[in-house]
Amino acid sequence: MTEIISKNLNFSYDNKTKILDNLNLTIPSGKFSLLIGPTGCGKSTFLKLLAGLYPKYAGKASGKIDLGNLKKAMMFQNAGEQFTMETPRQEIIFALENLQVNKNEYEKRLHKAVAFTKIDKLLDQKIVTLSGGEQQKVALAVLVAMNVDIFLLDEPFASCDPEARKFLIKKLANLRDQGKTIILSDHVLSDYEEVCDDLFKFTGKKIVQLTENEKNNLLQANNKKANYTFSIPNENNASVFTLQNTEIKQNRLLLKQSKLKIYKGKTTLITGPNGVGKTSLFKALTKMIPYSGSLTYKNKEIGKLKARKYLLQVAQIFQNATDQFLNITVKDEINLSKKNRKNKFFSDDKINEALAYLDLANHLDQVVYSLSGGQKKKLQILLMLISDQEVLLIDEPLSGLDHNSTKKVTHLMRESQKQRKQTFLIISHELEGLAEWCDYRLVFNHQKLEYVNK
Amino acid sequence: MNPSFESFLVLIISLEISIKPSLVTNLLIIIFALIYLIIRKIKIKSLLTLIFVPFIAAFTIFATLFWFSPKPDLYYALNLSTRVYVYTLTISCVTIDTDETKLARSLEQNIHLPSKFAYGVLAALNIVPRMREAVQQIRTAGMMRGVYLSFWSPVLYFKAILVALNSAENLAQGMESHGYVEGKERSVIIPIPVKKSDWIISAVILIIVNISLFMFK
Repeated sequence: MTEIISKNLNFSYDNKTKILDNLNLTIPSGKFSLLIGPTGCGKSTFLKLLAGLYPKYAGKASGKIDLGNLKKAMMFQNAGEQFTMETPRQEIIFALENLQVNKNEYEKRLHKAVAFTKIDKLLDQKIVTLSGGEQQKVALAVLVAMNVDIFLLDEPFASCDPEARKFLIKKLANLRDQGKTIILSDHVLSDYEEVCDDLFKFTGKKIVQLTENEKNNLLQANNKKANYTFSIPNENNASVFTLQNTEIKQNRLLLKQSKLKIYKGKTTLITGPNGVGKTSLFKALTKMIPYSGSLTYKNKEIGKLKARKYLLQVAQIFQNATDQFLNITVKDEINLSKKNRKNKFFSDDKINEALAYLDLANHLDQVVYSLSGGQKKKLQILLMLISDQEVLLIDEPLSGLDHNSTKKVTHLMRESQKQRKQTFLIISHELEGLAEWCDYRLVFNHQKLEYVNK
Repeated sequence: MNPSFESFLVLIISLEISIKPSLVTNLLIIIFALIYLIIRKIKIKSLLTLIFVPFIAAFTIFATLFWFSPKPDLYYALNLSTRVYVYTLTISCVTIDTDETKLARSLEQNIHLPSKFAYGVLAALNIVPRMREAVQQIRTAGMMRGVYLSFWSPVLYFKAILVALNSAENLAQGMESHGYVEGKERSVIIPIPVKKSDWIISAVILIIVNISLFMFK
């Protein structure tokens, strides 16, 4: 049987700190392998090495990687950055032309890939207009159409809702049963128990395979389904946002809400399937896209408010962390946020403490764009907590964070919200760590938002 | 019509009318281009934009050469200002038939332009809407942190360039991860044919334009 072998593999970005140190690892082919490890440990780097993109595009490597002549393709952490063409159909055509596939074969493969990932409705839409979760599905469809032997997937479900996640994991297991090799990195370990063959863990610049027992313990521990309960808000409570006959459209109608209040000083969790319009709702609340009907902030129509003043009170933590950054180094970013402090909650000491707590204290002089995905996310959330807005719209705060970082980030958020009585609106597919302290839960589905109690 | 043929035809006509002045030819081309655009069901709004936006340039040229010139020459002024319309309208005739994807495919298949250029340009064009969105996002992100980035702010462009550079690098990796290898042969799934009619139409149009150029002043 062919195996994926790395021999004496070393890798570093800057010659100083090694990401991989003399790694000897064998990953079996035709199996479902899961790669885990804390944020910033080098999971993406390792996958890009396997994909042959590194050291061509970044860093220095020595040693050997042998894929045993198997064809491979990779899906990036940020799927949106991976497309050359305008629509999913065009992208699949582009990829298959690269592989010198003929027209008949293309049609078969397109059909298969579309049915496999259920993206028939997205096929001719512009990729830029798709939601994060939809883009991830499309990226997977391209790989399926390419019919490669090794699927390298870097946190492929980070923006997927639980149903889509379960569905895609099952589908990947099907692919494995057809003889494909799946190598996948993820922070969330639920739903893998029955499908994962081998579990690999990053520990100190090396990757080790866990024993069958360790693997089962880890996956089972993560498979516990917690039941969360929420209260239903009293309609007479003070609200920050009020929706009345509000409609939001992006290509298609996303929201049609006759009446809804979002309550002041509370944390409201918003959940719903991929592409339902959660991020678009935030965009309407931050004046990035128009709406029709009435949408008010403290009884004033948002459309008529001056953006400059309004956005100092209502800010968003974007899904994509780099969108938030305005400066170059971590220190510059922290200093900028310090300028906007209105109260003493985040004193200089407290900020330093928080930086150490989030393992960012040693990265102060680093360029923000060179931080790992998880480090960026942690920094981004800290920055926005420091500049204390009254309302924070938080879009997928936990994507790309390992268990430990999730705990720390949610702890900071919770503390900040409780002590300053901020209003939080959180979009998240990941409930663990959040659901315990969110006051209300809004479910977004079928163009409507509705409070639920569980 | 084949996109490459159409583009080259427009290019040749534009070059010819730049070298040999003929007001009548300019007007004929403008009339035929307008008729063609209407047949192709151009939106009224786009048509009006096509007429009024170049008018600023055409009017400026006309004013300079006719009212503000020491030796006003009506023919010369009209000739140069109508050229503006010839360029914009003929190019619109190409763009109304072709989207960039089709043009890139045609350049790759018919003209045998290296795929690196065809898809490189295409990918770059696809970044444009992303850039537009990025600029809006950067400004919003700035306002949320008390930084107002005006449209001439260097920070805005610094960030925008960073986004572009980052996208460009990811794009190269993205293309490669989807099987693209520079210089490697690619198959054709959507063929862009070169028909006999493409040759005939191009030849006829060129002949007519040339006759008109040399017959009429």
